[in-house]
Amino acid sequence: MRLSGWIFIILSWGMIIALIVFCLIKIFTKKELK
Amino acid sequence: MAVAGSAIGLGNFLRFPAKAASNGGGAFMIPYFVSLFLLGIPLMWIEWTLGRYGGGFEHGTAPGIFHSIWKKNRFIKYFGVIGIFGPLVILIYYTYIEAWTLAYSFFALTGKYASLTDQASMQSFLRGFQGIEVNQFFNGIGTAYTFFLLTFIANIWVIYYGIKGGIEKLCKIAMPVLFIFGIFLAIRVMTLGTPDPAKPAWNVLNGFGFLWNADFSALFSAKVWLEAAGQIFFTLSVGIGVILTYASYLSKGDDVVLSGLTASGTNEFAEVILGSSIIIPAAFVFFGPESMQSIAKSGVFNLGFVTMPLVLNKLPWAALFGFMWFFLLFLAGVTSSVSLAQPAVAFLEDEFDISRKKAVKILAVALFILCQPAIFFLKNGVVDELDFWGGTFFLVFFAAIETILFAWIFGMEKAWDEIHKGADMRVPKVYKFIIKYITPLFLFFILVMWLWQEWIPIIFMKNVIAPNKIFVLCTRVGLVIIFAVLAILVKISWGKKKAQEENLR
Repeated sequence: MRLSGWIFIILSWGMIIALIVFCLIKIFTKKELK
Repeated sequence: MAVAGSAIGLGNFLRFPAKAASNGGGAFMIPYFVSLFLLGIPLMWIEWTLGRYGGGFEHGTAPGIFHSIWKKNRFIKYFGVIGIFGPLVILIYYTYIEAWTLAYSFFALTGKYASLTDQASMQSFLRGFQGIEVNQFFNGIGTAYTFFLLTFIANIWVIYYGIKGGIEKLCKIAMPVLFIFGIFLAIRVMTLGTPDPAKPAWNVLNGFGFLWNADFSALFSAKVWLEAAGQIFFTLSVGIGVILTYASYLSKGDDVVLSGLTASGTNEFAEVILGSSIIIPAAFVFFGPESMQSIAKSGVFNLGFVTMPLVLNKLPWAALFGFMWFFLLFLAGVTSSVSLAQPAVAFLEDEFDISRKKAVKILAVALFILCQPAIFFLKNGVVDELDFWGGTFFLVFFAAIETILFAWIFGMEKAWDEIHKGADMRVPKVYKFIIKYITPLFLFFILVMWLWQEWIPIIFMKNVIAPNKIFVLCTRVGLVIIFAVLAILVKISWGKKKAQEENLR
């Protein structure tokens, strides 16, 4: 795999994992508030 | 959970890796993420909000929801018919494809295709199964039809028990199982290494490289941008009408901002992380770089039912992995097809005041009849035709209507307040501008470009061979009849309501 492949895989996967983690944090903090 | 279940399906595991590999690899992710943030996520929020708003007026489908938004316009409810027609048309052929996944999980377990080692024989196996040819594997369409009946009964059974009893329960079991299966298979592929030491270049890292190495020249092609936008549409199930129906069951206090974002995130995880880690890297390892271009461009069906069984055959415990893979796709298919049935059922329930169980019975009879041409005339292009109108053309058209209604007729200020009712987090303010201007312009651009580049030859049947033209024409007549029947039902229902209102006065 070339450098561009590594960059795109890390950025894409990273962005999606960050989105999931963000949503999970929001869901759990919302539950605590209730 | 149900929306995520509806969005996760064949598109994630087969369509995405094939599109990415043949449209610039890693560079495809630039138009893909641009489309996700400018088109996919805004449309998710629009549909969730419109659905919940319409639910407040006891409307669970697009005709009623559109009418609630623009009461003065007596024609807008007929545009809403697309929100029932589209999913119904997709459901007609999707049920049959879903049945193939169930059949292949059974074939994997019983070793029916275990001895096949090349693309030609597996292709022949698939054609025999579909009833396109009689060969040493199948002597007719009987097997495929049996699996269709089993799938049909399973789907109707889940729909019959409704959102809470059927779909939610199914998603609660199927979704985690699906993710665990997906992660398990992805890890198995990642640990394949170099199975044939005589071919050191055929290794899993190069397989990932085939999918992710960037070809930046692809960014200058309009086709690549359209493919990325199309993938976002298919994968998130936006522009179909399904999300509107699910969201209509929400209450004012439910958070549509977070729900829309979470459904998108879950779907993207299944697609970009799991979808990119299974079929393309595995096919590269076993078939090598020379075969990969043709494999990636062979279409979703060939990838799923020809290449993938061959790849699975080469893994240790092939029967188990084969069963797991196809059963995973079957579960994903059930959640998607059950969702596709929701708008039609909700329409009968809401607008004609009939019970859910009675509505499901009516749908089951109609759907069973409508599925038959897709099964028996598959080789004559009926499924392709249904997919074009139900799964492509009307998707973009419907999304464009929704966006204009939401941002321009309902009004952006009111729409912004409606999005945030019950929401903990605020949508970034830039999305006010994106939803009002960028998303509709982007949709308009896609509509014009697709019409110009791809749709005109399809509409004029330029690629249809002469003997199939009559089948394609009959399919179109059938589609017009379905649309007309739905439009007449809308007219009858509104007529009844008007008469009731006048009687009350």
